[in-house]
Amino acid sequence: MVQSILDAISLGGLYSLAALGLGLVFGVMRLVNFAHAELITIAAYTLVLTTQFPLAISLLFTIIVTVFVALLMEISIYRRLRGVNPAIMLIASFGLSTVLQRVYELMFGALPRSAVVAPFLRGDFKIAGLSITISSIITIVLTIVILLAMGYLVERTSLGLQLRAASADFKTARLLGVRSNRLISAAFGLSGVLAACVALILVIQNPQISPYYGLNITILSLVGIVIGGIASLRGAALGGFIVGVVLSSLNTLLGNGRVYAYSWLFLLVLVILLVRPGGLLSKGSELERV
Amino acid sequence: MALLEVTNLVAGYGKVEVISDVSFSLEPGKSIGIVGPNGVGKSTLLQAIAGGIAPKSGSIIFDGKSIAGKKPEDIVRLGLSLVPEGRQIFSGLSVKENLALGLTGRRNKKGATEAILKMRELFPVLSTHENHQAGMLSGGQQQQLAIARALISEPKVLLLDEPSLGLAPTVITDVFERLKEIIGMGTAVVIVEQRANLVTSFAEKTIVIRDGKVQATLTPADAANSESLQRSYFGAGE
Repeated sequence: MVQSILDAISLGGLYSLAALGLGLVFGVMRLVNFAHAELITIAAYTLVLTTQFPLAISLLFTIIVTVFVALLMEISIYRRLRGVNPAIMLIASFGLSTVLQRVYELMFGALPRSAVVAPFLRGDFKIAGLSITISSIITIVLTIVILLAMGYLVERTSLGLQLRAASADFKTARLLGVRSNRLISAAFGLSGVLAACVALILVIQNPQISPYYGLNITILSLVGIVIGGIASLRGAALGGFIVGVVLSSLNTLLGNGRVYAYSWLFLLVLVILLVRPGGLLSKGSELERV
Repeated sequence: MALLEVTNLVAGYGKVEVISDVSFSLEPGKSIGIVGPNGVGKSTLLQAIAGGIAPKSGSIIFDGKSIAGKKPEDIVRLGLSLVPEGRQIFSGLSVKENLALGLTGRRNKKGATEAILKMRELFPVLSTHENHQAGMLSGGQQQQLAIARALISEPKVLLLDEPSLGLAPTVITDVFERLKEIIGMGTAVVIVEQRANLVTSFAEKTIVIRDGKVQATLTPADAANSESLQRSYFGAGE
């Protein structure tokens, strides 16, 4: 039971981080970046391909690679499409996602690549007779640390203030002097850092990396963003957390019926959206992006 | 020498030309009003000057440099700030955070604290509510916040799009009193207004835009003559 609760919280935290990465980019560009999945995937590949180095070095290298790919995505594709119809941006992100999956397939092969990342984080320990996995505790601690750091950045720094303002009304933010290119690049860079953190946690739990590795968590995090409130970073984090906790709880509670976990999850999503169409933390109507 | 000189400006959205030939100039520390019926392109004109949209042709010279087609974030750093229509404050952020955002566009990063203190002095109500959510302020207070936020960047020219929109008459008087003080401090002001009488009596000169062109130039003396004002506003014989 305790392990199930910890699993639910850790999965919630993980989805919260992934949703925050997506929410940062959506906030400044009104872009649902499906290719965020491929950031998680490239981070996971980098982690398993650099296991010969100490974890800190491997993680640093992974963050650099993922941020580089995120910035490349922004500069080479999305920057050129800025200002076009959001539907075109959405299709572009689908296209980019598919192309990157094929590129990964060519680079790393279609079969899963695997390696044990941070073996010292595997296994379990006992507290008061209860067996608890180390990875679930590490996931929770790591998630809390990253969310606190992100919270500090978003709430207490000038960059965070500009990100929040641009999320609310990018056109007015620019009129006040917020530099659009710099801010959007910063959002993509941060989403790359978050994707690398998500990949680290995922790889500890499941080190079988395929070209589609980041897809499932990205789609469910997008669901989380919609639940939480699409234009709010807090909403994204909360929505992601809710999806993770609910999914993990359903998997535990449904037992053999866990194949229906997604059906129940999406039923819940529909109910939430019918009651609060703008998401749990929505405050008003969507602002127009220019 | 003019601080802001707009010549034969053509601007619009897509293939639609909203303003087809607008020219005017503004000297340092002076004020100009822009009036005209709904939909003639007054806000489009301000957006084109502030960088919100790129002009199709014509020139905009600010402080001796061409700013036509430049990004809004670069234009504000040159010293030209826009208070957009509907105020566009960030309602989910606090008053303090809204003011802090105004610092982003400052050319000189030094003196930020003094600039905030100056705004608190000019708009005391903002000090009282500095930790409140900006969306909780009244319409008049929000307008003051929007003006203060634009002024924090210490612009040489302040563009205001319908500052009286949605405000009670007493609040409008208060806002225009503040604008007088701002002009007195040396900031040139461009005011777009629907209320022709109000702005004509306030600004040193007022241009009337109709059919995308400047149709007349009025002085405060014209504000007293409502017949002449109406004729300029709606066109002769209408």
